[in-house]
Amino acid sequence: MNTALLSLSAPLLAALWLLLTHRRQAPVVIVASLISLVAAVFSLYQVIDAGEQSLALGGWESPLGIRLRLMPVSAMLLTFTALIHSLVGLYAWRSRHSQTRHTDYWPLSCLLHAALAALWLSHDIFNWYVTLELLGLVAVVMVCLAGPKAYGAALRYLLLSLAASLCYLLGVALLYGVYGVLDVSLLAEAARADPSTRTALMLMTVGLMLKAALWPLHLWLPAAHSSAPTAVSALLSALVVKGPLFILWLLWSRVAPEELGQAAGPWLALAGVGALLVGGWSALRAPLIKLMVAYSTVAQLGYALLALGLMLHWRELSLDAALWLFVLAHGLAKVSMFLAAGEMQSTLGSRRLDSLKGATQTMPVAMFAFAVAGGSLIGLPPSGGFLAKWLLLLPLLQNPAHWPWALGVMLGTLISAAYVFRVVAISFDRARPTSPDFNPDRFAQWLSLLPALLVWGMALISEQLILWLTGATL
Amino acid sequence: MSQTLFYLLVGAGLWLLGLHGLLCLRQPLRRIMAVNIMGSGVFMVMLALAVRPDSPDPVLQALIVTGLVVAASATALALRLASADRDRAQKTAEEGE
Amino acid sequence: MSLLWTPFLPLAIVLSSLIPGLLIFTLREEQQRTRVALNLVGVVLKLLLVVVMLAGVAQGFTFRFQVPFLPGVPLILQGDALSLQFVSLSSLLWLATTIYAIGYFRGSPLQSRFFGYFSLCVSATVGLALAGNLVTFLLFYELLTLATFPLVVHKGTAAALDAGRRYLAYTMGGGTLTLMGVALLHSVAATPDFTAGGYLAPLLGEVDVSLTLAFALLIAGLGVKAALVPLHGWLPRAMVAPAPVSALLHAVAVVKAGAFGIIRVVYDVYGVETVAALELTRPLLYLAGFTIVYGSLMALRQRDIKKRLAFSTVSQVSYITLGVALLGPVAAVGALAHLVHQGLMKVTLFYCAGSFAETCGVHQVQEMDGLGRRMPLTMVAFTLAALGMIGIPPLAGFISKWYLGWGALAVDEPWVLVVLVVSGILNAAYFLPMIYRGWFAASKTGECARTEAPAMLLWPTLFTAALVVLVGVFAAFDLSPLAWAQLIVDREFGL
Repeated sequence: MNTALLSLSAPLLAALWLLLTHRRQAPVVIVASLISLVAAVFSLYQVIDAGEQSLALGGWESPLGIRLRLMPVSAMLLTFTALIHSLVGLYAWRSRHSQTRHTDYWPLSCLLHAALAALWLSHDIFNWYVTLELLGLVAVVMVCLAGPKAYGAALRYLLLSLAASLCYLLGVALLYGVYGVLDVSLLAEAARADPSTRTALMLMTVGLMLKAALWPLHLWLPAAHSSAPTAVSALLSALVVKGPLFILWLLWSRVAPEELGQAAGPWLALAGVGALLVGGWSALRAPLIKLMVAYSTVAQLGYALLALGLMLHWRELSLDAALWLFVLAHGLAKVSMFLAAGEMQSTLGSRRLDSLKGATQTMPVAMFAFAVAGGSLIGLPPSGGFLAKWLLLLPLLQNPAHWPWALGVMLGTLISAAYVFRVVAISFDRARPTSPDFNPDRFAQWLSLLPALLVWGMALISEQLILWLTGATL
Repeated sequence: MSQTLFYLLVGAGLWLLGLHGLLCLRQPLRRIMAVNIMGSGVFMVMLALAVRPDSPDPVLQALIVTGLVVAASATALALRLASADRDRAQKTAEEGE
Repeated sequence: MSLLWTPFLPLAIVLSSLIPGLLIFTLREEQQRTRVALNLVGVVLKLLLVVVMLAGVAQGFTFRFQVPFLPGVPLILQGDALSLQFVSLSSLLWLATTIYAIGYFRGSPLQSRFFGYFSLCVSATVGLALAGNLVTFLLFYELLTLATFPLVVHKGTAAALDAGRRYLAYTMGGGTLTLMGVALLHSVAATPDFTAGGYLAPLLGEVDVSLTLAFALLIAGLGVKAALVPLHGWLPRAMVAPAPVSALLHAVAVVKAGAFGIIRVVYDVYGVETVAALELTRPLLYLAGFTIVYGSLMALRQRDIKKRLAFSTVSQVSYITLGVALLGPVAAVGALAHLVHQGLMKVTLFYCAGSFAETCGVHQVQEMDGLGRRMPLTMVAFTLAALGMIGIPPLAGFISKWYLGWGALAVDEPWVLVVLVVSGILNAAYFLPMIYRGWFAASKTGECARTEAPAMLLWPTLFTAALVVLVGVFAAFDLSPLAWAQLIVDREFGL
């Protein structure tokens, strides 16, 4: 547990230090995120070794106190967060095109990291509200780093995020009113399938779906994610939307009574298929590079929601592993995609997709990173996306009554292949002659390739990973 | 009990009113106020739920205080953003002329 | 029998093209010598390894490499008689095509990209041939799609991009269907190794719906690459690609991968008896028969040489599917021999078409007048391969058609003979005019100077043309493709 706390406090202290000293030192952030990464890896080892751990803050036991809890999934997510933060931090520091090198990005990204770490560790529905608000506020400010043109999108994001939190908070109030506890484990023991619980869960679900940009409540995401600076877009898509998803998962799989979950499952799964199709279609039509990547986030979250919904409906626990594999694979692939897209956009000087003509010749590494990451989004073997899809498909195919859902996955795959390869095909067009001062940043391009290689590298440990995740999420 | 129910209903009503405002209004300032009304609704529900025969539930009161802090800071950020966005809009309009 | 090093031989065969390919990507354009050296080292190494494996498999060695991948489904690379039939073909034609491509692309830009993807493509093909279970097969099948796309769009013209988009649309769709089929089979029967005689027989009568649906999905998915009508639309368009790429698509890798997959699914996943019990042969047989005649008819209508050859592939590759779907051992020999024979003949024809276009600027059939006097050696190669396609004895095509016809009679499907005869007549109808024009028509431009193709283009063409003759003449010889096909069939059918 101590290592997990270290993983949480390293970025928090770094953020405070940077804020108090008014310095914008990137190396401090990188070091803090690396410390956090090492600590998170240790905590992951501890959890695998010794099982779940918990800590009552300040010695106050529940129901009055706040309890932190380190589950296998939260340890994994801690590691994942720190890894993504350090990768993106490295890019924001070293890329010549990073718009965030001398801005408030540095303390903010640390705060974001700390807020997420707190979210993974919390095991209390009100504490989740606080971490969600922290996450939302920091994310909004980070979108603003792109300058005045992003203010409109940021404001819309902020207002919807606040409304979503209040939705969630009303649900929390109702649950507390009924059961008088906030701790997730205690709530899980007490929860009954009565109308007030149902209302509370519905309110919380709507709030969380809005925050996680799950279809049909996704409308704020494309504008906010695509107008943010590149490094911020990567963090938002890879990490921030996963926070509410984590809460949604715990809420439904742990707190909600089984019959409520069974009833809500098909609706969540339908929303997932809707996300796959609508998000994918919008990505296919998007005229701007980063807008396309942002819409693909909407689509990809559909897989996670589909897995969650069907897991609830059939009590098919292997789908939990599929959900978290999707989260990992999507996070890594999306970082790669946003960094590559941002790098190409600022080097080639246009936000439009057409400007990628000939990118395989002018910026081969970045384009390769984009395509490799896209391969994982499509779910080509042996990438991480394929592993997740395989786990999702098996229970769907076992029973002929479930085949319509498999059809949804199939359509989602086809549409994601279409939007990824649309970009790839454009990049194979003949290149326009480049100006003599054309000077792409090699290091940044290779950096954008790294997460994509990691997601394909998941194949090397795939069997252990799947077996462990299947056990860890039970 | 009827008093509790009254506050509960008023709270829920405020929440719905705020939500309606957020969805239907276009002006940033009004939307910010709408969110605040939603917040007040939630806090009112929490107050109503905190009623106990002897003394009110301290946990809920603590939650409300925390919620107020969050709401106040979020509102401050929203106002700052709204005014910055308006400045930008004016500037682009002037440049357009 | 197995020795310490035998597990790594299949891996080494895949890596012998993968590693040079990855290294080539890092080369700068002007490093021509290094690029050629890397390519040749890879090619020669692969051929040597394949020869070792051929000798080993003939003596009954097993070569099996395995790494864990999904729970219960390892990735397996395994050399058996069937996979070697395809591996030897691909490796041999890779050698010829590499030399041809070096000559073809001399002085043109983006060579590192081309040869890099070219090697990846061959690696994916070889991996697919050596795959020991369906999941491994699927992995390489998808990688093959990815590696081929940059080659199809290599020219970067609007037509090339259009062909590339169409190629991707078809093959990604096919890949998704294949994935669904593989996952569906896995959900009912797990994914054991490919087994001679199939592994699904015990499930007959329990999950027939799933088995039938999975078969349909797999055949549809594989049929895209094998260009079964109506899934063939990408192939004629892809002829805008450079000639070495066409050779790769039509003979070395892509369509062969689809046909090979169908062979695997029918023989080693379902097994002949299961396919027959599920009554799945008829539709496949009719589809293949229709594709054979339709492809030939379409070829007859084409004016463009490469387009005509492309439709001819649509038709010829379905001979393989036809032979498989007949489910008899004799027809199977014909199908497996045709896998190699068709590759040799078609690669020769595409080399010739590329040489005609590069050397004399000839693209259309009516421009072929008098080509025999300008490029006699290339025209000889073209003539041999085209006669082989028609099925003139003793050339390669005759051997496979003979076995197919015999096999059809053996399983009492005489109508297949009609298909074969009609297709043979149509083949003659579109190939003979080309040969006639080349040798006997007077050139309209009046120019008769001898302008034979450069050596780098000529030698591979003559080499494969010679093979077309040799595999036909020496078909009864022990190491011929036909004999090897007989060996495979003996093992598959347990004869």
